[in-house]
Amino acid sequence: MTLPPRLILSFGLTLLAVPARAQEPGTAAAAVVAVPPLSTPSDKQTSAGGTLSLAWQASQLIAQDLRTTSEIMPLPPKQKDYYSYPEVTAPTFSRWRSAGAKMLVTGFVQARSDERVTFGCYVYDVDKGREVARKGFVVAPEEWSRAAHKCSGLAYTAVTGAPGIFDTRIAYVAEGGASSARVKRIAIMDSDGTNHSYLTAGETMVLTPRLSPKAARLAYVSFAGGKPQVQLLDVASGAQRLLVANDAISFAPRFSPDGTRIVFSMMLGANSDIYIAGFDGPIPQRLTTSPGIDTDPSVSPDGSKIVFESDRSGSQQLYVMSADGSNQRRLTFGGGWYAAPEWSPDGEWIAFTRRGSDGRRIGIIKPDGTGEKLLTAGPGDEGPSWAASSRELIFQRSDAAGSTGIYRLSLDGSEPRNVAIPQGGSDPDWSGLMD
Amino acid sequence: MRSSLLLLAAMGLAVPAASQRRLPVIIPLGRSSPQPPQLTGIDALRADFLARSGGDTVFFGANSAILGPPAQLKLQAQALWLRQHAEVLVRIEGHADPGDTRDHALAVGARRAEEVRNYLVLLGVPAAQLTTMSWGKERPGLPRAVTVLVR
Repeated sequence: MTLPPRLILSFGLTLLAVPARAQEPGTAAAAVVAVPPLSTPSDKQTSAGGTLSLAWQASQLIAQDLRTTSEIMPLPPKQKDYYSYPEVTAPTFSRWRSAGAKMLVTGFVQARSDERVTFGCYVYDVDKGREVARKGFVVAPEEWSRAAHKCSGLAYTAVTGAPGIFDTRIAYVAEGGASSARVKRIAIMDSDGTNHSYLTAGETMVLTPRLSPKAARLAYVSFAGGKPQVQLLDVASGAQRLLVANDAISFAPRFSPDGTRIVFSMMLGANSDIYIAGFDGPIPQRLTTSPGIDTDPSVSPDGSKIVFESDRSGSQQLYVMSADGSNQRRLTFGGGWYAAPEWSPDGEWIAFTRRGSDGRRIGIIKPDGTGEKLLTAGPGDEGPSWAASSRELIFQRSDAAGSTGIYRLSLDGSEPRNVAIPQGGSDPDWSGLMD
Repeated sequence: MRSSLLLLAAMGLAVPAASQRRLPVIIPLGRSSPQPPQLTGIDALRADFLARSGGDTVFFGANSAILGPPAQLKLQAQALWLRQHAEVLVRIEGHADPGDTRDHALAVGARRAEEVRNYLVLLGVPAAQLTTMSWGKERPGLPRAVTVLVR
């Protein structure tokens, strides 16, 4: 079989249409979800070990995934809890009710004749005693963790109604060396910190990696040509090229949510404007013309609007325009300076960095300009990027000594959590769900 | 920083030959060698540029790309030197404040570099001698500054 290594075939309908328990951020306690060991119809050897062993590892990973959320409290698998194959499709609900579980995630791993494995994943509402979601994935045995992440996502969606964020990737700038002579490299990892690798070597300054929605491509700013310019990188092959083949300073790239276009800013003299370019398409189209610094564009999930920052009023503020550059209107009037907006994948919020007398803080505002909330205390926070669920953000936090780290922040108001990476890190960017 | 630069230039101290990239290097006076090394080629040009123009760095106010009188004086001296050395190319590097946000900082640095470039052109320096770039906030040792580097 010659399948691309990171391709997952999925089959079966997701039966779930309406979330069993739609939770609003900031409400309700975490839902208890039981994760008994996945089963196998028969323990067959695969290139990555026996199917029973894969099932056990996958169960642990599913519980670990769900534990990273604020909405779900998993009951992790226990080695002694033998879970039979028939029980996968006919659970004993009373057993899970007495354990306090609201939901149950289970499934099986089965070896196929083509040397791949099938992961079956089932989610049940324990109270109602019925199945709420089911999905199957066919993967190479070595890719078992991606199938487990997909299964975690199925459970997360069943509980919250939001897309799961477990089969996603995070790109960021790894920072080493002294603060006066930073060595910066583009790094990429799975959202749980595994499969960490570096995409640039550190000989030139690099900034702001931005992943395409399915994490196949990356746009970033490189100083390799003697000035900051947007580079495009194919993550799998490493092939690179300049986004715009000219001599201008360009920066602040972001993919459109459909992955076909890139918005960015480019300098003409002392003036920075917003442009949009097709990935392989013709010359970029200029969208703003006002004198001043227009930058950090982000396209709405339906592709119809672009939010960006501009200092045309004398201070940095957020503006929204139609995707063709028309209908530009100011969004923020809250005092202070607003920067680095990013539209949430569900379209409900725009995250931003706010500069004020209390430093830089992360906040959100609705696209109609209402509902503004500051989510972090600062003073060195910057550059929020949304999770696919639209319920979490990742951002950069600098301390007074100038060292930087990456943090995850849930919209429910809990404290930001540090993301473990090998060195310092900045400019984190979170992809959408992978195929 | 500013006064050190001026002092260094006024005393005619040369810059060590090893320093190829970033000028000027401020030498602690107590540890500098009594005899400045003889400089040749581009290093001599750099040292001469620094000595005659009073330094390679000009500073801006917060969130400003407006050249103040001290900066204009220094750039006038630089322009005079550059017009006498038409064969010398310089790179104008702009810097922003570390408190700025990443991308806005890149544009602010570029805007300041452009302001310096335009002023030098206004003073008669051929535009072909000048290129601009921005470090944004990535060189925190030079906040709100523009350096004119002989290359």
